[in-house]
Amino acid sequence: MAILLQLIYSGVALGMIYAVIAFGYQLTFQTSDTLNFGQGDALMLGAMVGLTLVTMGVNFWLMLPLVMVFGLFQGALVERIGVRPAIKIKSEFGWIMSTIALGIIFKNVAENVWGRDDMKFPSPLPESPLKFLGANVLPMEILVVVGAVLMMLAVEFFNRKTIYGKAVVATFNDRDAAKLMGINTGLVITFSYALSSATAAFAGALIAPLTLTGATMGSVLGLKAFAVAIIGGLTSGLGIIVGGIILGVAETTTGFYLSTGYKDVPGLVLLLLVLALKPAGLFGKTAIKKV
Amino acid sequence: MRFRFAKLASHAVFASALVGLAAAATAAEPIKIGVTGPFTGGSSSMGVSMRDGVKLAVEEINKAGGVLGRPLQTVERDDEAKNERGVQIAQELINKEKVSATVGFINTGVALASQRFYQEAKIPVMNNVATGSLITHQFDDQPANYIFRNAAHDSIQAPMIVEEAIARRGYKKIAILADSTNYGQLGRDDLEKALALKNIKAVAVEKFNIKDVDMTAQLLKAKEAGAEAVLTYGIGPELAQIANGMTKLGWKVPIIGSWTLSMANFIDNAGPGGDGARMPQTFIQEPTTPKRQSFIISYLKTFNPKNARIDSPVSAAQGYDSVYLLAAAITQANSTEGPKIKAALEDLKTPVSGVVTTYNKPFTAKDHEAITANIPVFGEVKAQRVVYAYPDDFKKASEVRVKEAKK
Repeated sequence: MAILLQLIYSGVALGMIYAVIAFGYQLTFQTSDTLNFGQGDALMLGAMVGLTLVTMGVNFWLMLPLVMVFGLFQGALVERIGVRPAIKIKSEFGWIMSTIALGIIFKNVAENVWGRDDMKFPSPLPESPLKFLGANVLPMEILVVVGAVLMMLAVEFFNRKTIYGKAVVATFNDRDAAKLMGINTGLVITFSYALSSATAAFAGALIAPLTLTGATMGSVLGLKAFAVAIIGGLTSGLGIIVGGIILGVAETTTGFYLSTGYKDVPGLVLLLLVLALKPAGLFGKTAIKKV
Repeated sequence: MRFRFAKLASHAVFASALVGLAAAATAAEPIKIGVTGPFTGGSSSMGVSMRDGVKLAVEEINKAGGVLGRPLQTVERDDEAKNERGVQIAQELINKEKVSATVGFINTGVALASQRFYQEAKIPVMNNVATGSLITHQFDDQPANYIFRNAAHDSIQAPMIVEEAIARRGYKKIAILADSTNYGQLGRDDLEKALALKNIKAVAVEKFNIKDVDMTAQLLKAKEAGAEAVLTYGIGPELAQIANGMTKLGWKVPIIGSWTLSMANFIDNAGPGGDGARMPQTFIQEPTTPKRQSFIISYLKTFNPKNARIDSPVSAAQGYDSVYLLAAAITQANSTEGPKIKAALEDLKTPVSGVVTTYNKPFTAKDHEAITANIPVFGEVKAQRVVYAYPDDFKKASEVRVKEAKK
């Protein structure tokens, strides 16, 4: 029993790491029907900038908002040079290549600035585990789960309760109608990209003490998070969290009960199953597209 | 007339000067040595230390007048620990740079993928880090073998690791954690074979991927199987995740593994959790002989590594020695042609005094391994450095361990 509990704890922590990154995919999809495939690299940049700030002597908690500000600018940049031109010419797929290309560029820049070795991110919390119902949890893992949930709640609150958030939701529901109502949809889309990169950067700085910081840290995590976004549904905040936890727990339990060599298989099988049976994701809404 | 004669004379002087220059140019034309290894990425602490060791040796040799009166020149390429990059680089070094020999290969997979090009081009390769047992035997079916090595290969390391765990420290229940690369899986194979010789079967054999961030499942399986020690085959960053995962589970058993546990990115990323990890080492950063002392001093002075600690002392020392071995062979062959260098390496007349050991007839036509099982000692991570695990080894460290005669 204690073993299963331990696997679930680790799986949940891992799943929440995926979920925060997947959340960023969702933010941009909701406003512009596009995704930032460089989300993993936005996460990596956040972690790297965070590490630089921390080694310069900035306090960990003060570093988090600074990293988010950096993420805002980085995301806005991606939207302006990568996505906007594609939306303007109504290209269906241009943004795919351009966001992937920008991700590669960011990774290469990071390799040149910070080198390609993995580095340790100093943990702000004690590194000794806590006992919890007979299984061990690192304080940092709790922080990741709490931080991720808080961040998602904050964005949900913003979308539902503020006038700017309503503009975001309106843009998501019908871009052209929102435009006719006087909403600057272009600005809203830029903002959603900025916000998605800011959440990724925040996630990067948050999880770095658990993973290791390096220019390639985003590639595997970004891909897993993409699977989570598909499994949970690109339109549901709850779906992202559930999807993340499902994938994380599936990985740790398969690793233990089946074989550690097949750890990555159930996630991909799940992804294929969801695409085959419920393409909008477990919690996604199926929208009818009028042609 | 006199004027014309003077002009003629000046022409003659000029012409002979030109001839002289050309002669000097051929005499001083450098001997190109390829250097290939990962200088970036997870294996970079090995690659960079190796490259720096090579550079140091080349600098010293050139200062002393070079080889055959010509300076050595390194052509360095970053193979990024990727097999396909290694293949590209091999072709570039052979066809474009026209190297006389190549030193390097940190990653077993890259070596196995790339060295066939050297074999075909008849250019010797001195593997100075990669340890996969297969490396020097890849071309056993061919009449000549151009692949040499001065690193402790896995068939030496795996029995040492097992000996340490079973015989010296008395553990009965053993778990193996190996990564899914060629290196990890070949090493796991060697470990299982060595365990079988002691009539022991590992209670858990687990796999992990490069860049895995969570080792809970693997460690829990080992723990549940009652493992008393964990034997590892992987590289720095993931090994650090193993140590960190153990801290998280509150499960502390000794980690004993391949020599990569001495990599800086294991020691730094594992922090206190890495203390006590043990691994076979051909070289530990301690000035136990005058040769080692001068090597360490000039390495630290030239490259100034963090905390006065060489990132991967073994790689640096083996890289340094590999150049001296090659230089000795080129001198003896009196040529830079591959087949002649190879023949000289297989029959080195003069002993080469290196940092790791004194190489006295290190290679023969049948045996391309310079390091034998009696040379490596056990190192242990202690306070962020690798030190001698056994005080006895440290006391006797000034007696250079040399290659055993073939039984």
